[in-house]
Amino acid sequence: MMNNLNRSRRWFLKDCGVGLGAIAAAQLMAEESGAASTADPLAVRQPHFPGKVKNVIFLFMAGAPSHLELFDYKPQLAKFDGTLPPAELLKGYRAAFIDPNSKLLGPKFKFARHGESGAEISEILPHTAKVADELTIVKSMTTDAFNHAPAQIMMNTGSQLFGKPSLGAWTLYGLGSESKDLPGFVVFSSGSKGPSGGNSNWGSGFLPTMYSGVQLRSVGDPVLYLSNPPGVDARAQRDALDAITALNQQHLALTGDPEIATRINSFEMAYRMQSSAPELMDIQSETQQTLDLYGADPDKPSFAKNCLLARRLVERGVRFVQLFHEAWDQHGNLVGGLKTNCKNTDQACAALIQDLKRRGMLEETLVIWGGEFGRTPMVQGGGNDGRDHHPNAFTMWLAGGGMKAGTTLGESDEFGFNVTRDRVHVRDLHATILNQLGFDHTRLSVKFQGLDQRLTGVEPARVVRELLA
Amino acid sequence: MNRRFATLLAWMCCCGMSVAKENATDGDIDFASQVRPILSDACFACHGPDEESREADLRLDDPDSAAAVTQPGDASASELYARLIETDPELKMPPPDSGKTLDASQIDVLKRWIDQGAAFETHWAFVPPGRPEIPPVDRASWVKNPIDAFVARKLESEGFSPSPAADNRTLIRRLSLDLTGLPPEPDFVATWEKRLQEDGETAYQNLVSRLLQSSHYGEHWGRLWLDAARYADSDGYEKDKPREAWFYRDWVVDSFNDDRPYDDFIIRQIAGDLLPDATQADHVATGFLRNSMVNEEGGADPEQFRMEAMFDRMDAIGKSILGLTIQCAQCHTHKYDPIEQHEYYGMFAFLNNTHDAIVPVYTDAELERRQQVLRQIEEQERLIKQALPDWRVRMHRWAHEVASRAEPDWTTTELSFLDTALSGSKFQPQGDGSCLCQSYAPTNFKPQGTGTFHGKRLTGLQLELLTHPNLPRGGPGRSVDGTWALSELTADVALSDAPEQSTRIKFSRAVADRSPAVAELKPRYDNKKDQKRITGGIDFAIDGDETTAWTNEVDTPLSNISQTAWFEFDQPIEIPDGQHAIVTVHLAQRHGGWNSDDNQTFNIGRFRVSLTGEVIPEFVPLPQAVAALIRQAPDQWTPAEEATVFSHWRTTVAEAQPHNDAIEQAWKSHPRGTTQLTLARRDAPRATSLLARGDFLSPVKEVQPHVPALLHPLKANNERSSAEPKRLQFARWLASDESPTTARSIVNRIWQAYFGVGLVETSDDLGTQSAPPSHPELMDFLAVELIENHWSLKHLHRLIVSSATYRQSSNLTPELAQRDPYNRLLARGARFRVPAETVRDITLAAGGLLNRSVGGPSVYPPAPEFLFTPPVSYGPKIWDVAQDDQRYRRALYTFRFRSVPYPMLENFDALPGNLSCVRRSTSNTPMQALTSLNEPMFLECSIALAAKTLRQCDADEDGPAENRTVSDGRRIRFAFERCVGRAPSGAEQRVLSDYLMRQRERIDSNELSAESILSSGPLLDLDDLDATELAAWSLVCRVMLNLDETITRE
Repeated sequence: MMNNLNRSRRWFLKDCGVGLGAIAAAQLMAEESGAASTADPLAVRQPHFPGKVKNVIFLFMAGAPSHLELFDYKPQLAKFDGTLPPAELLKGYRAAFIDPNSKLLGPKFKFARHGESGAEISEILPHTAKVADELTIVKSMTTDAFNHAPAQIMMNTGSQLFGKPSLGAWTLYGLGSESKDLPGFVVFSSGSKGPSGGNSNWGSGFLPTMYSGVQLRSVGDPVLYLSNPPGVDARAQRDALDAITALNQQHLALTGDPEIATRINSFEMAYRMQSSAPELMDIQSETQQTLDLYGADPDKPSFAKNCLLARRLVERGVRFVQLFHEAWDQHGNLVGGLKTNCKNTDQACAALIQDLKRRGMLEETLVIWGGEFGRTPMVQGGGNDGRDHHPNAFTMWLAGGGMKAGTTLGESDEFGFNVTRDRVHVRDLHATILNQLGFDHTRLSVKFQGLDQRLTGVEPARVVRELLA
Repeated sequence: MNRRFATLLAWMCCCGMSVAKENATDGDIDFASQVRPILSDACFACHGPDEESREADLRLDDPDSAAAVTQPGDASASELYARLIETDPELKMPPPDSGKTLDASQIDVLKRWIDQGAAFETHWAFVPPGRPEIPPVDRASWVKNPIDAFVARKLESEGFSPSPAADNRTLIRRLSLDLTGLPPEPDFVATWEKRLQEDGETAYQNLVSRLLQSSHYGEHWGRLWLDAARYADSDGYEKDKPREAWFYRDWVVDSFNDDRPYDDFIIRQIAGDLLPDATQADHVATGFLRNSMVNEEGGADPEQFRMEAMFDRMDAIGKSILGLTIQCAQCHTHKYDPIEQHEYYGMFAFLNNTHDAIVPVYTDAELERRQQVLRQIEEQERLIKQALPDWRVRMHRWAHEVASRAEPDWTTTELSFLDTALSGSKFQPQGDGSCLCQSYAPTNFKPQGTGTFHGKRLTGLQLELLTHPNLPRGGPGRSVDGTWALSELTADVALSDAPEQSTRIKFSRAVADRSPAVAELKPRYDNKKDQKRITGGIDFAIDGDETTAWTNEVDTPLSNISQTAWFEFDQPIEIPDGQHAIVTVHLAQRHGGWNSDDNQTFNIGRFRVSLTGEVIPEFVPLPQAVAALIRQAPDQWTPAEEATVFSHWRTTVAEAQPHNDAIEQAWKSHPRGTTQLTLARRDAPRATSLLARGDFLSPVKEVQPHVPALLHPLKANNERSSAEPKRLQFARWLASDESPTTARSIVNRIWQAYFGVGLVETSDDLGTQSAPPSHPELMDFLAVELIENHWSLKHLHRLIVSSATYRQSSNLTPELAQRDPYNRLLARGARFRVPAETVRDITLAAGGLLNRSVGGPSVYPPAPEFLFTPPVSYGPKIWDVAQDDQRYRRALYTFRFRSVPYPMLENFDALPGNLSCVRRSTSNTPMQALTSLNEPMFLECSIALAAKTLRQCDADEDGPAENRTVSDGRRIRFAFERCVGRAPSGAEQRVLSDYLMRQRERIDSNELSAESILSSGPLLDLDDLDATELAAWSLVCRVMLNLDETITRE
């Protein structure tokens, strides 16, 4: 009898390092991708085809930045400033706050062409302008929703309805995690508030919860409950863990339930995370030059610090990092608000690209910048200093990760109202990102409630090949 | 990992392949379990019910259509088979670009199905369950009830034997956790272990009865339903404001405790408000449908999000009641299940005629108090009538007089709004000239509405504040009390020939039907500015001071009535012939609190503006209800109408003054109560349309209420039901004995809760895409048992836990692990980590801290403050940590913010309640380990358990000279039993005592600080205990609370 139990225990520890639920997830993945089966749902897996990208950093500009002030220069809008938009433009158009039949508002900032690519970039993004030749700018983004929460959920999960897995969750599910002691999908939040879509923006939806993003803080305990409780030092924690493991192992031998083996592993990883996470957060170890490049103050939470942490995370094998900076909802104070936001983000975004590049990491890292929608060419409010939500056309940029650097794709009309060329729907963006990770977006799917559920949903979506190097 | 593992996916795998493949090599092909899953998965998307996506006009879900491509009895002559084995990618089926492929064994199943006659059967779940024959089995002595016969039959056919029964201690803990969600206290275990040993089956049945009668049963099983009902305490979306819905939560708990029949439980949740003589509880039950999220972010279109909520209600009904995924049909006819799009909207139409009400509700004690108040008022009014025997004559005379007073002729003006506050608030025209304010409710704003007036002159303005079922407590305000404060009303008038030249109107006076006394603002409305703001009578609306406001807030239910005010212009505005006046009204509302993302608004909810050129009277407007009645002849009044007039008339009678004062006083002691989101009947019917792609802006055609043809018919032919409101008929249909899926769906989910996986694994979907049931006859047996026993869930629970199947040991042998890793054959008991809430409850109970009180408002146990502060949360949220034993309530009562889930519960897979879910995932992660090791409440419980252990064991000590090793051993056993319900083995005891020794040494030598360790128990009274010893034991207890077994149901 004892022999049997010992054998079973060995068998479980060897083959079932994780629980059966987890095995099922991994197995399903293996089936979907045709890859070799593996027991660990977070183990590194091969995608459908060799991907260009191993990691993603999504700089989510929540609140929706004005494309008209940052990337999509419209001289005609300046010319028609103060006049009503053409009636045919407004047919069937719904606006969130304003009467759509409001006067047009000319761009508030100067633009110039930058780099060899000659990308047109606003004067309030001087640092981004310097890396213009690294960017792949998409001026023809379009989405379905024009309220923040549904549109953020759309951008992050492919659906306006809550309950679908996020882009990061799909990525982690598809590729697994290279990091054994940090979560594979990490989220930071900066700016004036949390994102409108809340933590559904990084949720795992119907995928197992282990694929959801873990929110880290750049001050205090980076991970919730990371620190030992008061009075428990490192040795006491190790002692406790050893006792817990010894008892769990005795019970495993008795019951034979592989879930116990998984729990033993979970405690070990938790213990490792207790030292790896503080090490990660310690940006004092970076050179002054690097800190200056980002404009990051080690003692203060900031978007800049989060950008630097994003690089450090990717360096440590974290698959997907998403920074939310909720600050861009300029219904009023368009000029002042944009200046502040650009001051807080521009340098760090550019620094991230430069830093990744000089470390040879940019090729395998896809950096994405953008919000949930754009802003109306029409004015909001009496002060000629605000714009409403606008889903029809907006701008995003991508960098690294096999994208065609120094390219601008797509066009909007003379007022920046509708896309006129090379329309890229949120779904197309998702299909393209998955493609760079090595996935056919139609095949990265999970059966749930009778449907093959996928990030790009049931509507047609295309990989935007024009964006790829 | 072998292939067999791959085919037995437990996790959320809806592929209907497991059992089918296992059987594919032998004998007759079964259409339902083997053929349909293949057709459904690989073919129906293009050759199924959905007309729009159908290719080649071929339906493989329809025998007649499929006949075109099958030659029954001869696969080789059948086009269907030819296409499956075709190599030309242009002709091959399924087409390579569909992403679907069939392997050789699947193609073989289809071949043999055609060879055997290509017979179709209706999908099992669409045929009403019948009582199956109980199969004879070899192992008859093992069988305790029919469940076991079905299970044994299957085991025997697979060559398995059941596992031995678990030992009594394990069974007692298992039953306790399963039926009440709480671990048994050690003396409970000891008592029942003895009884089980002595009285066997009788004792077992008594134990089951005892647990089923516990009020904790309803808490535990109610929690499961609350997942399906997507219960939460906040709105969701961006603002995610707190809401009051706990009356619904308690109604669910009470219903389970009372063993409310499941059909009745459903009917009341869908249409309780429409039942004859509906009680408060019946209204509360409709909170089920109102648990949908509410989006009040700036600029949100109320109708768009009302429709989102409707889709959510449909989804919830599909998953939780019907066990079908119906939401596919929101956008198109279902591709797999024969639910057509018009049928989806047919069901939608039953639900569409509702208001989203927020009504006051009262606890039993409050209801009693309320009755008392109403009786006092009744008594005082009786005394008035007694004192004034001619009251009726006098009242009629008064009515006649006031009705004949000259009142101006008011012309309602339709306002169009320019929101100068950039708030994104929405003003919905109600068709009667009034506007309902919806969506974002800023706490400080000044909307401006513009309308026109045609006439010769303009002398005054009437503002009506109107109630509406969609407003809190019926309004007319948008505050949580339905109250409002109008800081200032201003108006500008221009003439149509010179619209840019407007004149600010000066009001000479204003009168209102009610003007409360001057009052300070409630703390809720603190705007964090050093500014005194007050409320009071109508004069405050025109005093040029926005820090003073007219309000309706009188802190009694009398706040929630419609009101009227008249504003007289200082100078009439003359309107030249051929012109009209353009009037712009500004409604400054600046008396709300500082945070617009919380419930601090004090705005008007519904209002109407009218204008006149006639003289504004000196008298005060009558209350609206009275004004309407006095226009009728008094002899036409019903008794209730007469009472309404009387209640106003008496206030005009000097002799009644003492009684009026007493009545005022009585109202002041009326309980405030709580609110609850409910459905309310909507009198003006709303048309329902089929929506193209589910887009509310793309109606295709109007749809009448009707139910899907594949399910049982809705019978409205008897007298009672045909006269009933449509929604109630629908509710009865959902809960009908004839429903093929309603009973199956709930029995399957109850089974899932006991065994970790349902008889049908896809418990949210019993449709054609579902996994085949592991034990189809057992499923039907349980469904019929439920229906025939008056839908008693307790009957079902007793049946399941009485079975030998349930009582098996959950130990896993290598053979079982290899052959049946997911326990679909049920050759052993289930072993799984308990749900998040139970993890918390076990920890609290082990420490002896658990506060067992049932029901009431949700509570705020300790949580990190930063979670509720931007930029982690969208807006600042209030999480006022309970500093008393409310923090030790069961996790069921933890306040549930949808956007900021309670972290400990979230880490253990609790759901935020954003949408209906009948199957949680169960993960096993490092985040859980960090939580149980380091979260403050786990530490607090460790210390409490240590303190309890020391106190209890010291009290029990035999003699003064007990050796330390002996007493440590006793203590370890005591604490260990509190965690896992059994005594530790010798080996376990050694690990723990070694660990204790080391910690004790380190604390003794001041390497570890006892004081620091004990700081995690700030509320605990520990003064009587030696700190060093207590700290060492706290660390030992922490280890025990972190064991896998502690949070596992074995």
